[in-house]
Amino acid sequence: MTTIEPDPADLEPIHPYSLARISHVALRAGAVLAQSGASVRVVHEGARMVAEGLGVEVLGMRSGYASFEITLARGHHSITRMMQIGPHGVNHRLDFAVRELLKRASQGDMTPDAIEAELKRLQKDTPRHPPWLVAIATGAACAAFGRLLGSDWLSFGPVLAAASIGQSVRHLLLGRRFNVFVVAAIVGCISAALGGLGARLIGSSTTELAMMASILLLVPGVPSTNAQTDVMDGYPTMGSARAVTVIMIMVFAVTGLWLAEFVLRIHT
Amino acid sequence: MTATWIAMLPHLAHQAAFGALAAAGFGVLFNFGWRTLAWCAVAGALALAVRTVVQQTGGSLEAATFAAAFVTSFTAILALRWLGPACNAVALAGCIPMVPGAFFGQAMLGYMAVAADTTGSSTAQIVAASQAFVRVLSIVGAIGAGLAIPAYLLKSRQF
Repeated sequence: MTTIEPDPADLEPIHPYSLARISHVALRAGAVLAQSGASVRVVHEGARMVAEGLGVEVLGMRSGYASFEITLARGHHSITRMMQIGPHGVNHRLDFAVRELLKRASQGDMTPDAIEAELKRLQKDTPRHPPWLVAIATGAACAAFGRLLGSDWLSFGPVLAAASIGQSVRHLLLGRRFNVFVVAAIVGCISAALGGLGARLIGSSTTELAMMASILLLVPGVPSTNAQTDVMDGYPTMGSARAVTVIMIMVFAVTGLWLAEFVLRIHT
Repeated sequence: MTATWIAMLPHLAHQAAFGALAAAGFGVLFNFGWRTLAWCAVAGALALAVRTVVQQTGGSLEAATFAAAFVTSFTAILALRWLGPACNAVALAGCIPMVPGAFFGQAMLGYMAVAADTTGSSTAQIVAASQAFVRVLSIVGAIGAGLAIPAYLLKSRQF
């Protein structure tokens, strides 16, 4: 007579939180970190802290540029889930606030609901500098870049103004969910044209440098170093994706600059 | 020797001041807090000062950039007590003014000009554009390696 052995997984005790619920919170935490500019190592470590704090084992994780997957296990059960990652940006204060939250979650005294509610609160309430200040600061940074590149003092003001206007336009267009590469081309053209025109009108002898400095707000500095960090940490796929994105943004930005040079008849 | 260094001071101060301004300006864009922004400015000044000194003593731009990134990262990690876990982010912000966006622009504009050239005499332009592109790769590599090596060696890669 054949005896049917029960599946060991069916004999396990009932747990307060399902694997699906835990995976969702872990993925969400990782996605927020990724969108704030964290490297893949930090994203994976953050998701692992959430999962282990909630008492499950992480069997594996995989990060792509636009998605994040995790496999969790508890006893004989395992689950694999994936989540979309939104637009990548850099938000230092949110990044580190989320890291602090995940350190608390790893102690094991937070529920998935509490972690998720705190994540949402941080995304909503973490302070940001006002857009006008970001615009002026970015303009000042580009003007400083111009000085470092060798542009004259006369072009300092026009570059500051042009890059500030460019940053305002970028803020406006990205807020309306325009394609990030198209935005790079538009902002590159506007900033370079305004910077070059202003420098020319004011009598600067370094108009071309002023145009170049005016678009340097578009250079993705953090992603370009994150790309190397990811490769060094053993995530070449993500590193390569970041590098390609950096190159694409720069190609579009320079296309905008080229258009501005054509409009201002710089090389004709 | 001393006279040479004294003569170099105005240029050094200029580079450090604008390095600080560029790093702090990008720090605002990256939403660093006010206290951390001050450290970003210090890191930017340090990076540009080191790069300028190495260049003035005969080093290439690439070698100077590597030295600057290395010193900035190393110093930020040593200042862990004051900077906290953000030390690596501060070092990165300090190195942003050295990212070779202008070289990339030169390279791309050069290639565009070559593509539009119909005279068949664009060899010099191809060489110049390629040289600018190679410099982009080597400078970005120098920044990445300079930032990462101290972080790996001093095991400061905490969460």
